[in-house]
Amino acid sequence: MENMIEVKGLTKTFKSYKKGKGLSGTIKTLFKREVTEIEAVKDISFNIRPGEIIGYIGANGAGKSTTIKMMTGILNPTSGFVKVDGRVPYEKRQENAKHIGVVFGQKTQLWWDLPVGETFAILKEVYQVPDAFYAEQMKYFDEIFELSEFMGQTVRTLSLGQRMRADLAASMLHNPKVLFLDEPTIGLDVMVKERIRKAIKDMNKRYGTTILLTTHDMSDIEELCHRIIIIDKGQLLYDGGIDTIRRDFGYERKIVFDLRYDDAEVVGAILQQMRDEIQGCTPENMTYTLSESQLSVIFNRNEINISSIMNYVLQHLNVIDFSVKDMDIEAIVKRF
Amino acid sequence: MTKTFKRYLKLYGMFLSQYLKAVMHSRTDFLIGFLAFFLIQFGGIAFIALVFRQIPDLMGWSFYDLLFIYGFANIPRGIDHMFTDYLWLLAGNVIVQGEFDRYLLRPIHPLFQIIAQRFQPDGIGEMIIGILLVVYAASKGGIEFTAGKIILLIVMVIFSTIIYTSIKLILASIAFWTKRSQSILFMFYSMSEFSKYPLAIYHKFIRTFITYIVPFALTAYIPASYFLGESSLMESLGLTVSISLIALALGLFIFSRGIKQYESVGN
Repeated sequence: MENMIEVKGLTKTFKSYKKGKGLSGTIKTLFKREVTEIEAVKDISFNIRPGEIIGYIGANGAGKSTTIKMMTGILNPTSGFVKVDGRVPYEKRQENAKHIGVVFGQKTQLWWDLPVGETFAILKEVYQVPDAFYAEQMKYFDEIFELSEFMGQTVRTLSLGQRMRADLAASMLHNPKVLFLDEPTIGLDVMVKERIRKAIKDMNKRYGTTILLTTHDMSDIEELCHRIIIIDKGQLLYDGGIDTIRRDFGYERKIVFDLRYDDAEVVGAILQQMRDEIQGCTPENMTYTLSESQLSVIFNRNEINISSIMNYVLQHLNVIDFSVKDMDIEAIVKRF
Repeated sequence: MTKTFKRYLKLYGMFLSQYLKAVMHSRTDFLIGFLAFFLIQFGGIAFIALVFRQIPDLMGWSFYDLLFIYGFANIPRGIDHMFTDYLWLLAGNVIVQGEFDRYLLRPIHPLFQIIAQRFQPDGIGEMIIGILLVVYAASKGGIEFTAGKIILLIVMVIFSTIIYTSIKLILASIAFWTKRSQSILFMFYSMSEFSKYPLAIYHKFIRTFITYIVPFALTAYIPASYFLGESSLMESLGLTVSISLIALALGLFIFSRGIKQYESVGN
């Protein structure tokens, strides 16, 4: 089957001019500017088939947004090329825009001052969505996003979760072939995240929409993505199935305890003993660090029962507070 | 072509009806804005009246002549203010904050999206006061308005508005290179004050400057002078139309080059 997205040798270099210090420096830069070139994206190539959900992963500043901007036509590459549904987005920007949907989790694409309902009426006109399909879509969105809850409100009055639901629905209204979702679950609570994931999955199944999403949330990746692409410092690090990642990192959990104690050595000894007391506590399966009365335990939840760790620590140490965390993407990228 | 135009017109109508609804909702805001603007205008008119207390005419211009020019100046300024106010934000933070990205993600022209982003009701007040002053000055000053002249006045207002919009567009588009251009836009925009009085009172350098370089003279004095019998139709309408079209073409050109620039460096 043809590729829906084709990225080949994609490179983007930004020039930045150093500013001199003080007045003399400013005057100097007027005549002679020091140019530093920043390679935001270096020679990246990958292909995405129709209907795939791809997790596009990397730390902040790894070049994710720059790549997405080139795929959506906002930026021109320095070299290499992108093709989306057979079009070069930055050459045929408006034509490409008809066939894609874009959501940036950090900022809304909607009109701040307009009521949500009117926003959809306008988008219908913008994308020239036929009446019958529009009615069908709105009904569908109301099912998966429960839009009618806030249809009459202006976009500025929406909560973050509502806004994200509206933004996602807006990006899907014209049934785009490709959806670019940049951090679609950022800052949302677990319930809303779950609903958004469900909707993304549903959309993918219903229309075979190709979806490329970036996220820092491991559960987004586990639940949604067929394949992941990891980039770091602008370069491609990994392109493949999620299984490798899931096997190597997906089952890692981290518990952070806030402790109260007088003697760190005593605590150290107690933690030493933990290895012997709990089954499966090999150095590969469990590591811990103690600093400034904070104890972090990272362990493989396939091999070690979380309750045994909790039990041990709560019984032997004075715990003020604790939290359980998924492994974050940054940690995974770092270990690659 | 006509189909695209119709679609854009329909879209604009949808935006406008929403904005007007919002204005109706906050009627007090609107009235306060209108009142404030009226007071400012009253100050300007009082100043002219005060000057004319002392002298019977100013280089051959009567009080009502001046009032006519002053009133005319407010009409295109008000109309432009109503519809293209968002250009000020383009010159402000839109590019720095990466807000411009979203205009490139929709299948409609980015400039249209910027224009449709805001409707500024304050401009209605400016326009209404302008119309009132023009009508008042014309009736007191003995300017006869035939149907033909009214149509001509409307045409002149349209092209004068285009000049306002084009100047704003050119200066706001500089922000594509400099990230912000609000202060330069403000500086040049302030020069529109010059257009409220007869050109003859200025030094030759200023006259040339505001006729050909930053052509605000074409937004009030030059078109108005035709109705005051001071210049021929060719001089006033001809100059206004031709320079406004040149300015508009230049504005659109710089804007589209600006987008090219944005595509290569981003925000």
